[in-house]
Amino acid sequence: MVWGTLFGAAWFLWIDYRVRMDFQALKWALPARIYARPVELYAGAHIGDEDLVDYLQRLGYRETSRVDGPGEYQLEQSLVRLRTRGFEFWDGHEPSVYAEVDFSGRHVLSLRGNQAGLDLPLLRLEPVEIAQINPETGEDRLPVSITDVPPELIKAIIAVEDQRFYTHYGVDPIGILRALVANVKEGSIVQGGSTLTQQLIKNLYLTQERTLRRKIEEALMAVALEFHFSKDEILTAYLNEVFLGQDGKRAIHGFALAAEHYFGRPLKELKLDELAMLAGLPRGASYYNPLRNPERAVERRNVVLASMLEQNYITADENAAARKAELQVTSRPVNRGAGYPAFMELVYSNLESDYAADALRTEGLRIFTTLDINMQSVIEAEFEKSVKAVERPSSTEGRLEGAMVITDASTGEVRAMAGSRQSGYTGFNRALHAERQIGSLIKPAVYLAALESPDFNLATVLSDRPIELKLDNGQLWEPHNYDDKMYGDVYLYDALERSMNLATVDLGMQLGVDKVTKMLTRLGHKKSVQPFPSVLLGAVNMTPIEVAQLYQTLASNGFRSPLRAVEAVTTAKGDPLAWYGIETEQVVDPASVYLLEYAMQGVFERGTGKTAVPRLERSMPLAGKTGTTNDMRDSWFAGFGDDLVGVVWLGYDDNRESGLTGATGALRVWTDMMALLDIQPRQTLPPADIMMDTVPLQAVRDPSERNCAVSESLPFQSDRMPDVAYSCEVNDSFFERIIDRFRSQGQ
Amino acid sequence: MMLRVLLLVVVATLGACTSVRPPQEEPAPVEDRSVQPPTVTVLPPPESRPLPPEPPISTPVPEPEPVPPPPRAATPSSTLLASVDNAMAAGQLEQAAALCERALRISPRDGHLWYRLATIRFQQERFNDAAGLARRAMSFAGPDAKLAQDSQRLLQQAESRN
Repeated sequence: MVWGTLFGAAWFLWIDYRVRMDFQALKWALPARIYARPVELYAGAHIGDEDLVDYLQRLGYRETSRVDGPGEYQLEQSLVRLRTRGFEFWDGHEPSVYAEVDFSGRHVLSLRGNQAGLDLPLLRLEPVEIAQINPETGEDRLPVSITDVPPELIKAIIAVEDQRFYTHYGVDPIGILRALVANVKEGSIVQGGSTLTQQLIKNLYLTQERTLRRKIEEALMAVALEFHFSKDEILTAYLNEVFLGQDGKRAIHGFALAAEHYFGRPLKELKLDELAMLAGLPRGASYYNPLRNPERAVERRNVVLASMLEQNYITADENAAARKAELQVTSRPVNRGAGYPAFMELVYSNLESDYAADALRTEGLRIFTTLDINMQSVIEAEFEKSVKAVERPSSTEGRLEGAMVITDASTGEVRAMAGSRQSGYTGFNRALHAERQIGSLIKPAVYLAALESPDFNLATVLSDRPIELKLDNGQLWEPHNYDDKMYGDVYLYDALERSMNLATVDLGMQLGVDKVTKMLTRLGHKKSVQPFPSVLLGAVNMTPIEVAQLYQTLASNGFRSPLRAVEAVTTAKGDPLAWYGIETEQVVDPASVYLLEYAMQGVFERGTGKTAVPRLERSMPLAGKTGTTNDMRDSWFAGFGDDLVGVVWLGYDDNRESGLTGATGALRVWTDMMALLDIQPRQTLPPADIMMDTVPLQAVRDPSERNCAVSESLPFQSDRMPDVAYSCEVNDSFFERIIDRFRSQGQ
Repeated sequence: MMLRVLLLVVVATLGACTSVRPPQEEPAPVEDRSVQPPTVTVLPPPESRPLPPEPPISTPVPEPEPVPPPPRAATPSSTLLASVDNAMAAGQLEQAAALCERALRISPRDGHLWYRLATIRFQQERFNDAAGLARRAMSFAGPDAKLAQDSQRLLQQAESRN
């Protein structure tokens, strides 16, 4: 007997110790949450009303006829009224505000706050959550403190699960009796006898064991828990811990996440009927699942409401109104876990150097990325159609593949990405991993290296004639033009615009191939490239994102900013852990890049890209370059406007002929996408030492043969003007031009 | 693992702490030993600024509304720059930089914003970044001789400290 008592006491002490320790150390493994870049609204912002409404719907905003609370919006012709929810960003708090946004076409015309007539200069919306990195347990939750839980929810839970919660000591004999009576009366289980504390214990020490010993142990644990912790602490743990549904591999725990999962809105915004529905779920999250079993869910909700009425937590009117409310669960598929796999792979690779995989899965980190969700949606919806439209009928298996990378033209932030022609494809990510020959996409690097040297300018005459080069291995290399024609004497800018191979080899051999490979490195290419002459025509393998880095440097006038997909990382509470700000380094002088851009704009105006002009008329001028590799295995286009850089690659995974040139394949896809994204025209201003001069349209080597009757004006660096003998400017002295230059600068 | 994250938190916090000063009632002038104090605190509205202009939008600018106009038209940039001042005054340099970057995403060709970001990086003793940003500011200075001069001076100081 004594031994038995001693044993019982020791057992209880052990249980007491264990519960105390476990509960104190209670810490849930929280998935990392990944956010897209938030939309910023201001007068002039490049966004249309439809884009905004789409964005608000992704955030789970409700359309109403009158905007009262956070997370509501109203659309009236081109005017959107809304109240934001506010958000804890990594760089500060964004409060909840009311705003009226007026649109004109795809721009914000004005932005007003709630005081009449007062313009709101700027408004940052909440970011859309695009993915999660889930713990291995698959458990997901959004921990909340009890002060953030609507009192109606707590009342509903207490009414239906544990009416004597605030008075019992962990177990409730009266409650058990009541439940027994009620269940016998109904002939089925309508009430449970477990207290919330017992349910919490069951959830925390998840076992299937249903023995008497286990029951007693759970009861003792509940008593111990009550002994050491307050009712609020226990209730908070319950509200966050309880299992409320399954979403594929992901287990929905806690009421805050359940609110997002079933209603697409935060807990704070839910109304009585919705809260009552959630309160009914712990009894059987799958049985009462409102998405799958809406009738049962409504029935259960009404039971909860009846209990609340019985306890005088709500009035008869409130009860009646809530019972009438239609069940409105979210119908929009939530893009969690698998959202945007191509972009997410880049996010992982950006993060893996700083964070261990385990930290990403369990610490609830919040990761702010550079993804533009509206832009990405356009790509997801349209890229495949566009690729399909240029695909040549093929007699064999396999289909034309593609990849696209879009970056911000001045900061290097990656805005959108396609790793395959098929959206949401989780396999081989061609944007990051398909290493393909880049062909003529390399030419801007060749011409830029030349324009940097004092020996060359846009009017340097190159020879587009057959050339034979003896390579180091003794072989003879005889490059050809794509169309097998020869153009004879041509200007440097013309050779780039029309992508002449022979003239480019002539230029590259005068310059030295090593200058070109060094230029690739300066522009941001990280792998080393051997300086073989064939490099001049693009016999270099690169992935689309590597190409995007090179063209990003060109788009930002010779300033290289490493491409990146992550902007900042914070803890679950919002404390910043890491910032990845804009880095920028000047790698080429802006004057040389300006001259190169003149020719790259000419690609659209006069060269290989001119077929795109009619569809992008509003966006001109743009700059870019086509690329085609041997036997048309790869079709490339890389180009940029003032806001965006885009790179498109098309080809077959097995490297067979695609039948597409850069112009007939990738350029058309690029044009489709950029027209939809409304790419902005270039506004590059000439650097101070750029001057114009007029030269004959036809390049000649002998000045006496020059024909100034047909001439054109080209920009030059002031210390590298064309020889006066070739110039067609007669009435203007060199010094006058310099004076003019300063005059125009001063204006 | 916990340790690792904890370490990150600690490092990040320490990094922030070293430059944190208690918030002051009035934004204190930005103190800097070697650089001229940033000349741009709150930018005047764009119409009175030389260059570069705000990116043009394809829609016509609306006529002033009949309602009484606000006392001073705040632009996204001026609003953000006012917050930059506050963050700097509170010693929150990283936050100030983040605000500057937000403004740059809206007006990427505004040399004053690039210059402002360069001064913040300089204060953080990130001289390499400061130099790159100062050069970028110079490239957008156009005929704004003052901006060109300030950027040039900052560039030289950053390069000598690098």
